[in-house]
Amino acid sequence: MFSMNFPFLSSIAKSPADGTPRRPVLSVSARKVKDNAADWHNLMMKWERLNDSGFTTANKIVNMKISEQLQDNKLEITCDNSTTESEKPSPKYNEELDNCCTELLETLKKMTKIQLKMEKLSSTTKGICDLEKFHHGGGSCAAPLFHTWPTAYFYEVSLKLSEMYKKELQLKQTIVQEIAHSADQDLMMVYLSSWLYQPYLDNSSKLLLEAMLLETGHRQC
Amino acid sequence: MAAMAAMVEALREWAVAAARRDAAWRAAVAACAPLLASLAGLAAQMRAAQRLAWDGTPLGAFSELRERLWRKQRGAAEALLEELCERREELRAVRDAVGAGAAAVLRLYEERAAELSLTEVLRRGPRCPSLADALEGLQDVERYYRHMYLEIRLFLLLISCDSLADMEALQQAWERILERYGEETVQDAFLKISLFLDNQ
Repeated sequence: MFSMNFPFLSSIAKSPADGTPRRPVLSVSARKVKDNAADWHNLMMKWERLNDSGFTTANKIVNMKISEQLQDNKLEITCDNSTTESEKPSPKYNEELDNCCTELLETLKKMTKIQLKMEKLSSTTKGICDLEKFHHGGGSCAAPLFHTWPTAYFYEVSLKLSEMYKKELQLKQTIVQEIAHSADQDLMMVYLSSWLYQPYLDNSSKLLLEAMLLETGHRQC
Repeated sequence: MAAMAAMVEALREWAVAAARRDAAWRAAVAACAPLLASLAGLAAQMRAAQRLAWDGTPLGAFSELRERLWRKQRGAAEALLEELCERREELRAVRDAVGAGAAAVLRLYEERAAELSLTEVLRRGPRCPSLADALEGLQDVERYYRHMYLEIRLFLLLISCDSLADMEALQQAWERILERYGEETVQDAFLKISLFLDNQ
């Protein structure tokens, strides 16, 4: 189980394998869905942390680019006054910028892994739905696994969340590819703002997650 | 003598409470600056998004990105405004508490005024303000919070996310308010009151 690696797992713990004596024993499907909800929570929290650290790195990159531009402008003025075209200094290799780009790529790699895990969560939930359909046939409706949600709704929510993160990841991939190559300050600012505010993650994502945690019993009313 | 002793005691109590509340006031005022800086930063981001020719950029391929980003930025600005309103409420609480305390001291003075001779009220030494001076200081403090609160309230009411230019200029406008309401007004009044109390 991948979420065992997360240090903040203690905030939402997975259901114990043997169950506690006072709680009703959950079916295998219910336990899996409950574990998935915990995984969703942990993955989303981890994503937020990576988003914050990625933003710090992206911000450094933009600041370096802007100060580079300022220096280039100054040099250009000096060069125009004193040297010919062939004598202009060639662009200098910026090690710090290179390091920041590597760091941002590393962050993106971690986010990509998270997004893949999210997709897996959705497909597991789909599997549980299919299994339920198989057991109960096409017509009759199975009793909810927890309180009120039909199993299919867990899949619906998982898919919705997964799609949001997929789109957001695509945006971040473009930002990482382009941020260090842009000279347009407005575009750099928009890259930063887009990274920070994550436009493809709807505000409803947190609500969906909380609803799922409430339904599965991770959160109390 | 009893009336003067009662006035001194009431002023002492008020001064202790007012000094504590002044610290809360300063903290709330200081907490506004980073929020306003964030709002100004957001305005700069929104302006950049407005100026950008999206279609010619690598972001042009992302559907609804511009609208989605705008909504998120707007949401962030509204969250900052809410936080500013919380700071405003803290300021209001200080204004109300200090005002109520000052009104109680002045009411006591009115009740006991007949027992105090005018000479007694106006008597001041080379380093000791009179009771009248101390009461004037108390009113100065009350007026300071009342006026500054009104100005801050109006300032916050007029912030609109629709005017990016105004949002970008928030920090300067805030600085102007702070300049107009220097801390020395309150500190001078507190000093005057404490000198009066120390010499009783």
